[in-house]
Amino acid sequence: MEERKPILEIKHLSKSFGKNLVLKDIDFEVYPGDITCIIGASGSGKSTLLRCINLLETPTGGEIIHDGQNVLERHVNVPAYRAKVGMVFQSFNLFNNMTVLKNCMVGCEKVLKESREKAYEKAIFYLEKVGMAPYINAKPKQLSGGQKQRVAIARALAMEPEVLLFDEPTSALDPQMVGEVLEVMRSLAKEGLTMLIVTHEMAFARDVTNQVVFMADGVICEQGTPEEIFVNPKKEQTREFLSRFMNK
Amino acid sequence: MLPPDFLGRLLFLLDRYGVSLLQGAGRTLIIAIIGTVIGCLIGFVVGIIQTIPVSKNDNMFKKIILKIVRIILAIYVEVFRGTPMMVQAMFIYYGSLQYLGVDMTMWAAAIFIVSINTGAYMAETVRGGILSIDRGQTEGAAAIGMNHFTTMVYVVLPQALRNIMPQIGNNLIINIKDTCVLSVISVVELFFVSKGIAGAYYTYFETFTLTMVIYLIMTVVCSRLLMLLERKMDGPDTYDLATTDTLAHTSGMMSYSAKKGGR
Repeated sequence: MEERKPILEIKHLSKSFGKNLVLKDIDFEVYPGDITCIIGASGSGKSTLLRCINLLETPTGGEIIHDGQNVLERHVNVPAYRAKVGMVFQSFNLFNNMTVLKNCMVGCEKVLKESREKAYEKAIFYLEKVGMAPYINAKPKQLSGGQKQRVAIARALAMEPEVLLFDEPTSALDPQMVGEVLEVMRSLAKEGLTMLIVTHEMAFARDVTNQVVFMADGVICEQGTPEEIFVNPKKEQTREFLSRFMNK
Repeated sequence: MLPPDFLGRLLFLLDRYGVSLLQGAGRTLIIAIIGTVIGCLIGFVVGIIQTIPVSKNDNMFKKIILKIVRIILAIYVEVFRGTPMMVQAMFIYYGSLQYLGVDMTMWAAAIFIVSINTGAYMAETVRGGILSIDRGQTEGAAAIGMNHFTTMVYVVLPQALRNIMPQIGNNLIINIKDTCVLSVISVVELFFVSKGIAGAYYTYFETFTLTMVIYLIMTVVCSRLLMLLERKMDGPDTYDLATTDTLAHTSGMMSYSAKKGGR
């Protein structure tokens, strides 16, 4: 059997804002096809961790190894790295001046330097996947939250990233729209897309993922398969957090 | 002979000097429009330079150059925003004639002064326009691997331009009116022409009634046209569903990794 190499290796990662240490000694790996959920209370550093991985925040210590290369070194081409590590935001961040179609094409055309035809094909292919192909002529402000998030997912997919990061993709949506976005994410999971997801949707974390990372106060408190975390949590903190969420 | 009543005099002046007035108005309009366009370009360049982000990892050379350029640009903005255009006109036109031996033609001097003035105001407007764009837009662009330049050109500037359109319209209207101060360096625009006509027959009230009307027509037409342009930039309020268009690309049969492998 071929030895599996991790896509991303996070080693001893730390981040501080001034004197405030928000991430301490974070260590974990993401293998191809892995679906990793990061759970934890608000303020535990989940989003900051994800933003550090995409270098939207600069970590203050540690390493992020991608393709055998530490991306925190000075000479690394950051935009090229980000093109391979997609990101979906809580607030969608679609380009307001472009139609749905353009939103999905612009990365292929201007970053990957693909032809207009290829970009169009890919944009339509991935918009089909998220069920938004009929809306190619709409502007973001004309869509509902759930629709915007699905377009944002298609935009990220059109770059054909090696791993896709989701930063609380459903937190800004009402319950009905949460369903449609999670449905899309479920289908992507089935197709084998590598995903790293920060979420408060515990049922989703339990059913879809194969690795769960529980964070508290800027450290990884517990880490394991969904069964290990949700059925037999070892740490008191994890049990407390889960019981609070499950009783809702 | 000059007719005795007000209306008669208006018609008389129109008949005799209508063409000169229109020529003056044309010059005013050309100077104002070209000045505004070049001023906007200057404003964009200055505004963009003022908002280039500097990170800790950048090399010393870039930081120093950027610092020096920014100081020069800040001085430019302060000087031209902080002195009257009429005084600048005298200073630049006669200064260049007397000490540099350069005789700027009427057109060159007029357009140069209006542009550089508008540029100073627009620099701050553009800076504000860029800062007003939500950080999420830049983060969204960064997340798909766009560099600073691409992000600016395709994401931030188009939105900033749309947001500052009302301000650009304001500047155009101000320029149409303010070109009259260029009469001090003998630019033959609408005000200069009017003054000549008024003096010739001692018909100040009648002539300047015409002048007022012409200025008003120019500014109102320009502001309406700009509003139309703004509406055009916003695009249609509705959109068409494109169901039939995409049926050819039925998905669901290709998996994500298969697609990737087949590339």
